[in-house]
Amino acid sequence: MAGLQILGAVIGDGFAAVLAAAKEGSETAFSRLWRDGNPALLRYLRVIAPDAAEDIAADTWLQVVRGLAGFRGDEQAWRAWLFTTARRRAIDEGRRRLRRPAAPLDKIPPARVPVSRDAAEVAIEQLGTRSALALVARLPPLQAEVILLRVVAGLDTETVARLVGRSPGAVRVAAHRGLRRLAQVLADRGVTL
Amino acid sequence: MTGDGVSGGDMPNLPWLGRPDVPPIGDASWAALLAGDDLPAGSPPELRPVSETLAALRGGPASDELAGEAAALAAFRAGLGVSSPARRPRRRLAVLSSLPARAAAAATVAVLSLGGLAAAAFAGALPSPLQTFAHTTFGAPAAAARTGGSPSPSGPGPAGHAAYGLCTAWAHAKAHGTGTQKAVAFRNLAAAAGGAGRVGTYCATVPHPGAAASSQPHGHSTPISHPTPHGHSKPTSNPTPHGHSTPASHPTPHGSGKPTSKPAPNR
Repeated sequence: MAGLQILGAVIGDGFAAVLAAAKEGSETAFSRLWRDGNPALLRYLRVIAPDAAEDIAADTWLQVVRGLAGFRGDEQAWRAWLFTTARRRAIDEGRRRLRRPAAPLDKIPPARVPVSRDAAEVAIEQLGTRSALALVARLPPLQAEVILLRVVAGLDTETVARLVGRSPGAVRVAAHRGLRRLAQVLADRGVTL
Repeated sequence: MTGDGVSGGDMPNLPWLGRPDVPPIGDASWAALLAGDDLPAGSPPELRPVSETLAALRGGPASDELAGEAAALAAFRAGLGVSSPARRPRRRLAVLSSLPARAAAAATVAVLSLGGLAAAAFAGALPSPLQTFAHTTFGAPAAAARTGGSPSPSGPGPAGHAAYGLCTAWAHAKAHGTGTQKAVAFRNLAAAAGGAGRVGTYCATVPHPGAAASSQPHGHSTPISHPTPHGHSKPTSNPTPHGHSTPASHPTPHGSGKPTSKPAPNR
């Protein structure tokens, strides 16, 4: 799992010990879980619930603290729980806000996708996480969500499928189309290395 | 979704992708992209920017992504009783009786020293689900059954601590927080103070929790500014934004507002 700098496999073999310590009240252990999970959680939420990402992340952790004693599972299960909780919160929040942003992302014709002239001049190596998130956010919602859950949350296809309520095949297709569309957007920006 | 294969050759529903400049993504490249591995030899050059973009998605944490740690730790401390593996106490008294005396006393101080979360909870200012959570975990008033009397069954101690935490949270958010954090902190504070215009007076009269220790019902004769509910002796685990232990008369944020014992960001 090279390259997973956040969340995915960061704790790794020590996860069971960290989790056990957190359950027993170790702030250090909980802090490690939080620092490992929160950046990924925020990146996910900033795409699927951009207006309420911070609030939903905070609510998610409240719920996680509450349920920590009853949680059983490995790191993959932990991440799945974290993101499942966040996703439910985001959906609830979306329902609460009857007004949703107009024009779903997949309804925006590619030609009208705003491309910053400045951004196009920035080398991809320097592309910040925010810029990358902004690119992914232009994908159709399912594609964007699947890519984030695979890449940022580090979840496997089957876990993502359960999380978003789709078949593993549908998740693979969404990820595939999302990546190809991303390649197209980047190519249209004239950025090749 | 179509549920069709992922071989990549057919993308019939995306006519705008029909241009030849981005070739289909082969399975090996696809897997490498998602896993964060190097692209296999022979991958189309158009996939390089995608790989870099996904790497940026996985980039190390930004400071604003770690800004909520103090609040999360406060929630963690508040929820310590819930994390008891034997059972799930419904009330704070049950929490106390389930822990060794020393840990219980320290945990009580930790609960009483909470920041904005507890303050808002004791002020009854949280949204209903959160208020319920606060009620069941650290004894704040129930969401539906608020009374007009004392905000806490434990006398003036918790209220004083709550107000202190509320003012501290606002001061910290004002100095270091995001717009959302500022708005939340101020809303909570204004609710507790009885109006936005009374915030200044409210915070000016809040004593430091340490200074009020002798009047607490729990019998601590010395200020305990570093709760150590589980044997952490490092003073840097102090949950308040203060980096010092001397009682101050008013909440004031220190330079960074962050504990200094955190693990280094993963990079």
